[in-house]
Amino acid sequence: MSGEAAALQSVQHWMHDAIAFPRRAGRDEIDRLLASSPGLSAAEGLAVYQRGYFQRIASCMREQFPATGHALGAPLFDDFVADYLRERPPESHTLYDLGRRFPSWLEETRPDRDAPPEKRETWADFMVDLARFERAVFAMFDAPGHEGKPFARAATPDERLRLQPCFALGAYDFPVPAYYHAVRLDQPAPLPPARQSFAALVRSDYVTRTIPLSAPHYRFLEAMTEGGGVEDGIAAVARHLALAPDEVRRSWRAADGGRQRWIDWHFFIDAAEAQDGQGG
Amino acid sequence: MRTAIADLPRLGLGLGLRNVHFEQILAERPPVDWFEAISENFMDSGGRPRAVIRRIAELYPLVLHGVSLSIGSVDPLNLDYLARLKRLADEVQPAWISDHLCWTGVLGLNSHDLLPMPLTEESLGHVAARVRQVQDVLGRPLILENPSSYVRFAHSTMDEPEYLHRLAEETGCGLLLDVNNVYVSCFNAGTDPAAYIEAFPCDRVVQMHLAGHQHRGTYIIDTHDRPVRPEVWDLFRLAWARTGGAATLLEWDGDIPSFAECHAELLKAELHMGGAAAPAPAEPVRSGADRISNPVGFLVPRVMDSNLLEEA
Repeated sequence: MSGEAAALQSVQHWMHDAIAFPRRAGRDEIDRLLASSPGLSAAEGLAVYQRGYFQRIASCMREQFPATGHALGAPLFDDFVADYLRERPPESHTLYDLGRRFPSWLEETRPDRDAPPEKRETWADFMVDLARFERAVFAMFDAPGHEGKPFARAATPDERLRLQPCFALGAYDFPVPAYYHAVRLDQPAPLPPARQSFAALVRSDYVTRTIPLSAPHYRFLEAMTEGGGVEDGIAAVARHLALAPDEVRRSWRAADGGRQRWIDWHFFIDAAEAQDGQGG
Repeated sequence: MRTAIADLPRLGLGLGLRNVHFEQILAERPPVDWFEAISENFMDSGGRPRAVIRRIAELYPLVLHGVSLSIGSVDPLNLDYLARLKRLADEVQPAWISDHLCWTGVLGLNSHDLLPMPLTEESLGHVAARVRQVQDVLGRPLILENPSSYVRFAHSTMDEPEYLHRLAEETGCGLLLDVNNVYVSCFNAGTDPAAYIEAFPCDRVVQMHLAGHQHRGTYIIDTHDRPVRPEVWDLFRLAWARTGGAATLLEWDGDIPSFAECHAELLKAELHMGGAAAPAPAEPVRSGADRISNPVGFLVPRVMDSNLLEEA
């Protein structure tokens, strides 16, 4: 560096790099740019920022991925976070965004990424699935919801049922929702064998519920995402199971069908009421 | 019309609003003078935090305190961030909005730390221009806090009190005097914290902060995870007198204890407001590893605790 070293831009570029990538920070540059004190050398002072950077982000990632941390064990999880931090450094002003790219990063950086499916490590598949589920759960906490407004009731006609805004669906190759809740309840949680699983996440009264789904129920609700209605769901299930739509419709309305329980869990809003609310 | 610093209220003794205390505050409405909410914990929220802060704002005077404005960064000001902050402020009508004299990142990246500024004419001009821009967007004076620091830049040409004095003069911004940060930064720099307070433009101080720190023998880390140290209470007496009793707030951000314990720690301030020193036992210097400076883990909710599994 020359006389430009005093420029604010150069200093900030250098310091951010020195904090995020401590090995790049040369001792000469540290001593040239930073002043030492009797009790704290320039390098020691910089080291407080360097340690804090990782520890601060890691503590937040542990909060956002508690089950993934449990599955990997704390040391290995921290190693993953350190690599993630180097390759996908935080860009947002909000800490809630820290884990947004973590599941896809796990998938993209797995060593067996290019191997055929049968030769890929199943534990890595499980970790990616679990991280995806945990990210979805975390995002539900603060997503825009329907609290303070009415949900659909049993008497709401089918044609007016729409999914509420704080609702998410997930399809997984492992039973990760069950694993997550075993960790939550401090129950034994061995790594499970592969088994396709489906789940809905729904929030009402600021409580998020995980609701395991069958494959047909997943298809039904999937068809209702992006504004679809009940008839879209019925048609999707009829296609999936090669059944007549009337048969699916009867099942949907049966006592043990989805309708009543999903209304009780606040899956749905009344589209007519929502429209009235917007107009008012 | 923009409020003048001198017209801002003297709020008394307040506490940092923390997720783990939400239920108790709403249920019991404890007799706290006011709360300070971390802006970023609420400004993007479409969930419970937003509902809670609306309710808190109905019950108590409220202040918004940010950690990501990055007023000193050479990156362009984040106008989307400012718009979100403005929307939250319009909703909860805080007594004021504060952030730190710092930068949090550059080149579009965010360290989520409060990084120190070189104290030069160049950086002063840069920060002053951005403070004016922020104040124009928010329609109110910005209140800026002295950060805790572990390094000083070799090419700085002024000390922090002078820098903040000139910044306040040039922009009309107010100041948040973090008494613990004064102690931490001065100890780490080998300078006199009392002289810092004496030199500080206390007529611009709207608010003060108190917090605990981790003493490491040759340096101090600003951990906000324990009671306020006696040395900081000593400084607080001086600061209280010099600011004429600015609104005072206790921050407790790591290993957060019960609300009652936080409140009791805050109320110790009353013992120091009259000028007479109350004897306080000194916490021994602890061994063990460094704790996190400016912890932020408390900002991330324990979502797992509020997720229920239903039977399919």
